[in-house]
Amino acid sequence: MELSEYVQRGFQRLADPGSFDSNAFALLLRAAFQSLLDARADEAALDHPGLKHIDPVVLKHCHAAAATYILEAGKHRVDRSTLSTYLEDCKFDQDRIEIFCTEYQNNKNSLEILLGSIGRSLPHITDVSWRLEYQIKTNQLHKMYQPGYLVTLNVENSDSQSYPEISFSCNMEQLQDLVGKLKDASKSLERATQL
Amino acid sequence: MEEADRILIHSLRQAGTAVPPEVQTLRAFTTELVVEAVVRCLRVISPTVGSGLSHLLPPAMSARFRLAMSLAQACMDLGYPLELGYQNFLYPSEPDLRDLLLFLAERLPTDASEDADQPAGDSAIFLRAIGSQIREQLALPWVPPLLRTPKLQHLQGSALQQSLRCTRLVLPELSSKGEPREFQASALLLPAPTQVPQLVRRAASLLEQHAVQLCQHVSRDCPGDEDRVCWAHRVPSQEDSRAAQQRLHKQLAEHLRQSWSPLGASTQVRDLGDMLQAWGARKKTSTPKGSRFTHSEKFTFQLEPQAQVTQIPDVPVTSQKPEQDTRAAQEQELESLREQLASVNHSIEEVEADMKTLGINLMQVETECRQSELSVAEQEQALRLKSRAVELLPDGAANLAKLQLVVESSAQRVIHLASQWEKHRVPLLAEYRHLRKLQDCRELESSRRLAEIQELHQSVRAAAEEARRKEEVYKQLVSELETLPKDVSRLAYTQRILEIVGNIRKQKEEITKILSDTKELQKEINSLSGKLDRTFAVTDELVFKDAKKDDAVRKAYKYLAALHENCSQLIQTIEDTGTIMREIRDLEEQIETEMGKKTLSNLEKICEDYRALRQENASLLSRVREA
Repeated sequence: MELSEYVQRGFQRLADPGSFDSNAFALLLRAAFQSLLDARADEAALDHPGLKHIDPVVLKHCHAAAATYILEAGKHRVDRSTLSTYLEDCKFDQDRIEIFCTEYQNNKNSLEILLGSIGRSLPHITDVSWRLEYQIKTNQLHKMYQPGYLVTLNVENSDSQSYPEISFSCNMEQLQDLVGKLKDASKSLERATQL
Repeated sequence: MEEADRILIHSLRQAGTAVPPEVQTLRAFTTELVVEAVVRCLRVISPTVGSGLSHLLPPAMSARFRLAMSLAQACMDLGYPLELGYQNFLYPSEPDLRDLLLFLAERLPTDASEDADQPAGDSAIFLRAIGSQIREQLALPWVPPLLRTPKLQHLQGSALQQSLRCTRLVLPELSSKGEPREFQASALLLPAPTQVPQLVRRAASLLEQHAVQLCQHVSRDCPGDEDRVCWAHRVPSQEDSRAAQQRLHKQLAEHLRQSWSPLGASTQVRDLGDMLQAWGARKKTSTPKGSRFTHSEKFTFQLEPQAQVTQIPDVPVTSQKPEQDTRAAQEQELESLREQLASVNHSIEEVEADMKTLGINLMQVETECRQSELSVAEQEQALRLKSRAVELLPDGAANLAKLQLVVESSAQRVIHLASQWEKHRVPLLAEYRHLRKLQDCRELESSRRLAEIQELHQSVRAAAEEARRKEEVYKQLVSELETLPKDVSRLAYTQRILEIVGNIRKQKEEITKILSDTKELQKEINSLSGKLDRTFAVTDELVFKDAKKDDAVRKAYKYLAALHENCSQLIQTIEDTGTIMREIRDLEEQIETEMGKKTLSNLEKICEDYRALRQENASLLSRVREA
């Protein structure tokens, strides 16, 4: 995990007990987490009385750096040991590392949900309904006498742009092919879990 | 026995035999199970042999017989020491079966070695992590969409997802000064995360900004590449930036060469056609190029060329008029400028040639001057000497004597001074040598200590590497240990094995003690019986001698004989009882083993099978006769 110089500078300033005493550090950290995960606390983000004695530019720089770092950590899904190693490298002392790690643990779930909601996913199939038909003749062929399947896949997604179901028709070989492929997929999933 | 059976059944199951779970001991193995187990083991041990045998017991008696014979043959080929026949498979007895299955189980390739050979590389760890994640997700039950927690929503597909959209953020800098700092400190600039109202867009913008910062850091060394900073992913490495620099150099060189082509001023040679093309294609971007040229350090010329360079970009910039006119005008100007340049170059050359000749002249004149000064000095000295001699000439003899005195005294003084100098020189030289030696020693010491320190550094670094590597291996092994199955606990088995070994040792000691006791007893018995015989013989003789004369002695002799007879009978009976008891014990053991062999039931089965075989033979014969 690489961090830009901006973030590193902010963190070095944050680690300095001369600029930020432990109370201010805890407040800033909580403000950073809140500003990422909770949109309601925006107006009074850095207006706490415990932070008033710090230079506003320093405060804002460190706030931005902390928020960026938290997002990067959530993106790489770091565990507690990597986190504390990195913070030690930035010369944080032990109790600040503890505070950071506990806050991160507490907010890890919501952070992952936030980061996971950025992106696109394929629709999720929940149900299948099928109908077997028997084709007797078409306009191109006088005698068909072939069975066919009309399959409807019920899809569940919250993206309102696409349709709620996918329908298609296929003949028996194609359906067998599809079922075979589905079986292959589930078998490879089983194999992957056994590694 | 049960434990051993359980382990055996476990290994048979691993070889592929479908042993039903209620079968716990070998006693409960049926014929079909035996055949299946043996065939599957054979298949694992030697696939060529085992693939020809079916693991299902055929219903026909003759086929069964053939299968059992082939199995017996295969097992004996593998090296089973005892004789095998069809009866071991069709009518198994427990001890024989145990021996056979243990023999086959030993021959099974151990798959513990396969697990230990798994590469602990990064890709293996990654795949295992993927596998464990998939397992966790598969284990989650399907929850109806309205009841899902946000995490389940993400996993089971009903989470609201938005595509990545970013907003440019304005970030305050610690090192800003003056007006920007005031702006950043004021309430006009919101803290960076709050500049974007929606949470998802906020996170996306922060991540994008961070990536941009990382790119800027990489590309800061390349001049003129600030246009390319807005890449979303990491800038590819040094090669691209070096290529961009080279491109920029080429453009500069071409531009220079185009402006001063007769002079051949620029040291890099470029194709004129390329140059003109590049020049023609870059008319629009030339104004920024001009400023970059003025800032670049790649110039070998001073301000005069720069003025010309800044003039030339004005030429195409002013060409907003119709193109043909401007091109003609440009070409005319170019021609005139070229002529001017040619003339200027010519004059510069002439002036340079003049300068060269003048320089050469100057040098010659200087050397002559120096030579003449030297000769003047010499002549002055000769003149002085001769004038002094001329002065002293009138008072010839006295002056000569005075001069001699002076010469002698000065010689003496020289000698005196030389001796004083010697006196001073010797101790100073000694001290100098001493100090030199000290310094050498100290250098040696310091270089040795330096080498030691470097070695220590190396060892520290190596130890740190080792420690890190071992920690990684430890972490991997701990995670592997957690995933290992816990049903077979080796610790219990090893403890039990050690207990059993201790018990066996104790029993062996007891047996040796008992054997030695028995030997002692036997020796005692022998000695006592020997003593008895000798005593009886002596007594017998004694009494017999007196028995001829005395009646009472004769009666005593008769009693003695009877006593001896009865006692020896008693002893005999006791010995017989002992042997009979031993025989009883042996027979009981034999009965037990024979009972274990289930001979009676096997015999019944054999009779049935024999009858079935005869029937099959008869039916086959009849069919042959019909056909």
